[in-house]
Amino acid sequence: MRLFISCILLLQCLVIHGQCDISISGRVLDRATKSPLEYALIMSEGSNDAYIADSLGFFKIDNVCPGDLHLSLSHLACSPEHIFIELKNDTIIDLFLEHHFELLDEVVVHGHSDESGTNASSTISKREIESESYKSLAELSARIVGVSMLRNGTTSAKPIVHGLYGNRLTILNNGISQSGQQWGNDHAPEIDASNAHHISVVKGASALSYMGNNLGSVVLVESNPVSNDPNIQGTINYIYNQNGRGNTLSGTVEKKSKLASWRIGGSLKHSGDQKSPDYYLKNTGRREQNAFILLERNKGNLWHHQLLLSSFNANLGILRGSQVSNLTDLESAFQRQIPFFTEDNFSDSIAPPKQTVNHHLVKIESKYFLNDNTVFKFKYGGQLNLRREFDIRRNNRSAKPSLSLKQYSHFLESKIIADLNNLWTINTGLQFQFMDNVNDVSTGILPLIPNYRSFNPAMFVIFQIQIQGWSYELGTRLDYKHFIVKNINNSIPPTIETKTNDFINYSLSGGLIKRISKSFKSALNIAHTMRSPEINELYSFGLHQGVSGIEEGDRDLKQERSFKIISSSDWNFKDKIFVQFLAYYQEIGNYIYLQAEDEFRLTIRGAFPLFKFKQTNARIWGSDLLLSLQMNRHMKLVGKYAYIRAQDKIQKNYLVNIPSDNTQVEIQYAFNNGKKLSNSYIHFSGQYSFKQSRISISQDYIEAPDAYFLIGFKAGTSFKLSKRTLELGLFANNILNNSYRDYLNRLRYFADETGIDVGIRVKYKWES
Amino acid sequence: MKVYSLSIIILTSILTISCNDQEPIIQNQEELITTVILTLNPSDNSGVKVFSFIDLDGDGGISPIITISKLKSNTVYLAEIEILNESGTTTENITDEVRAEAEDHQFFYFTMNTDLTIEYLDQDSNTNPIGINTKITTNNPGIGSLQITLKHLLDKFASGVSQGEITNAGGETDIQVEFVLEIED
Repeated sequence: MRLFISCILLLQCLVIHGQCDISISGRVLDRATKSPLEYALIMSEGSNDAYIADSLGFFKIDNVCPGDLHLSLSHLACSPEHIFIELKNDTIIDLFLEHHFELLDEVVVHGHSDESGTNASSTISKREIESESYKSLAELSARIVGVSMLRNGTTSAKPIVHGLYGNRLTILNNGISQSGQQWGNDHAPEIDASNAHHISVVKGASALSYMGNNLGSVVLVESNPVSNDPNIQGTINYIYNQNGRGNTLSGTVEKKSKLASWRIGGSLKHSGDQKSPDYYLKNTGRREQNAFILLERNKGNLWHHQLLLSSFNANLGILRGSQVSNLTDLESAFQRQIPFFTEDNFSDSIAPPKQTVNHHLVKIESKYFLNDNTVFKFKYGGQLNLRREFDIRRNNRSAKPSLSLKQYSHFLESKIIADLNNLWTINTGLQFQFMDNVNDVSTGILPLIPNYRSFNPAMFVIFQIQIQGWSYELGTRLDYKHFIVKNINNSIPPTIETKTNDFINYSLSGGLIKRISKSFKSALNIAHTMRSPEINELYSFGLHQGVSGIEEGDRDLKQERSFKIISSSDWNFKDKIFVQFLAYYQEIGNYIYLQAEDEFRLTIRGAFPLFKFKQTNARIWGSDLLLSLQMNRHMKLVGKYAYIRAQDKIQKNYLVNIPSDNTQVEIQYAFNNGKKLSNSYIHFSGQYSFKQSRISISQDYIEAPDAYFLIGFKAGTSFKLSKRTLELGLFANNILNNSYRDYLNRLRYFADETGIDVGIRVKYKWES
Repeated sequence: MKVYSLSIIILTSILTISCNDQEPIIQNQEELITTVILTLNPSDNSGVKVFSFIDLDGDGGISPIITISKLKSNTVYLAEIEILNESGTTTENITDEVRAEAEDHQFFYFTMNTDLTIEYLDQDSNTNPIGINTKITTNNPGIGSLQITLKHLLDKFASGVSQGEITNAGGETDIQVEFVLEIED
């Protein structure tokens, strides 16, 4: 959990006469504590020269010409910022950087945002997002060690962090907990990451200040504050993928102005059928149209207001051959070399089975600085989520959705963060979330989950204290959740019954960080958290294509109780070698899972497998290892290894949908900057996923797929023409065109994963 | 304070929109098939035989009710299948829907351990079988099973499909029911 204290730069300019041999110097300071930010990195965007502040935050840049100067400023614990200075004379400037509190109940490392640093991290930077903006949020975050994804076909993917996903993982979109239909394994988070500035994964034991039902980990999708540059600036990014003939266009424009600083942006994605090495994957195209507006206004130095409007609209095809009518069909699909309905030619049309998803967000956030050490924050987030799923149906009914859900959610938060003295920090707040979930009545099918409303007030308080290189933290959170459910039961004829469920959850966490030396840091967190069952776990009833079976909820489920301990160590040797080792152990009592029953449910369409929500006691443990070597000025080598085990303690077997061990190696060669070309690089990556061999055949329809190995390639360069930059890139995924299947993709029952994909990228950035 | 007035406006408008009626409406499940009835008329006067599978509450919930008959050996039966949706207040005849879209539908009859033959008697506009009307000829006595499957959006031109083989048919399964089939002396 990180808190933004301030995003304001205070410019204190001292004017000394000088001409074209100007120097700029000053200090980089933490806005909250006024303490120097050691070794902050300052980059001149024009020349790409980099400067590093000293251990006391002092920096000096010489030989600067007068005119507009654009600097980018970054620090280990901060997100990078752009700074604009109109330079006339020698200048002394104090830069106050937005500071992320590194709370102890999380282990998150923010690396330098540019490629030159050795600190790889749990953050995906703007640069990486831009170079792969055709990918979904889950695919982008899966680059982080310890993060995997659960997929349904080629178009929908959701992140898995330390084995937890869906209802157990909170995703924060610009500070608002994403509220959609997270319960479905085939429901991807409705977030467009292509214009985000960074994606971070908090691998923690608890995340007490966030709403949502998480059991430790949080995925953050964040945007930087609008640049303070009074000149208009913008970027346009275009990517073409040969596989699927995909087009991705995204861009933003921003400007500081007196009334309000603004940034507008959007993205368009259009792709057709993906191709596995041997055949086209029929009906796996996607369309996306996304847009946002961000407005910021400061009233003096005390009030900051922010308004964000965003809209996500997607139309996602699902492999035609993956819709199964019954167990017999499912079994005959397993026998086939290529899926049913495979066609010889490429098509970019999307027909049922498909999903159309719309998600709209309104966020209002205000901050008030009561004094230098205390900030009051108010936040409102309103979300509207529309999800319609279309199946193949009889008699021209395919145009009607089989599942159509509308969800409103409102979130209110007020909190205070205060630096009591230089030792103590308190972060406390009140929150309230209301959700209203309604089924559209035009489907002609009884809904899988009922209409419901939920009311969720909550409060939290977190204390931090720093003494002699040790940081301690203690926090607690209390949640009350009330469901009112209007359930259609299965009597003949069906009738409506009103049910209520109430849950009180309390969480407690503690942690400590010790910075043993400048290069070595160690952290330990312990937390007890609770998660109340979600609507699908309590009430779902009917055929669920996402699990190829009939799913039955249990309204008497109890809350899950998690106890987690997580420890991490970071070692940075002279910015040449960076090692991060993280280990975790989690016990989850009353762990809710879908149990495949021995019996089959006989219907008029044949037999279906029956799944019931059950509770057990689970144990999850694992570790993430990250190793980064800056071999010389040009070569950088990164290695990652993630290991995870998840056991059902009662049935004495392993849990399903847990990633297998996987490892990645990346090598990057960066070329010297030339007169015209800069930031040129080539990058190779290799990824090896082991077979998930711990799942017994009784837990799944078919055996888990074999291990696989993938090779990827990226290269890029940029041209600088006064205030314009043109970036060009080339990339290829699955270069060996390997046929493989992935355990965490439901597609594996029916078809191979996508084969080789070659693409180009063009980015244009301008300032006026 | 502009931001606050704006936020209050947005807040109230959203709350007003979202506070719609929560009471669900029980929809007419027009697509549901609850009932399959196979009626066999013998060429002699040995009596009409009926096989039926009735599941009024749809998938899951209460178990279906299955009724079977015993067929006579060495007899020719003219069979007709009827599928219905009896979940609503009025009964819908889905067989008519199948007949209207005959090119996209086909019934498949599969028997195990029984000595009988089944022939299609009806055709769609492409001269492919539909399978609403069939001729069933029993031979020697025995006990086995009969499985009836209705597919839609299948490939009716695929190899063996017009002979009643389901293997290459593809498509969606609308019904698949299985009966114990006994041929007695």
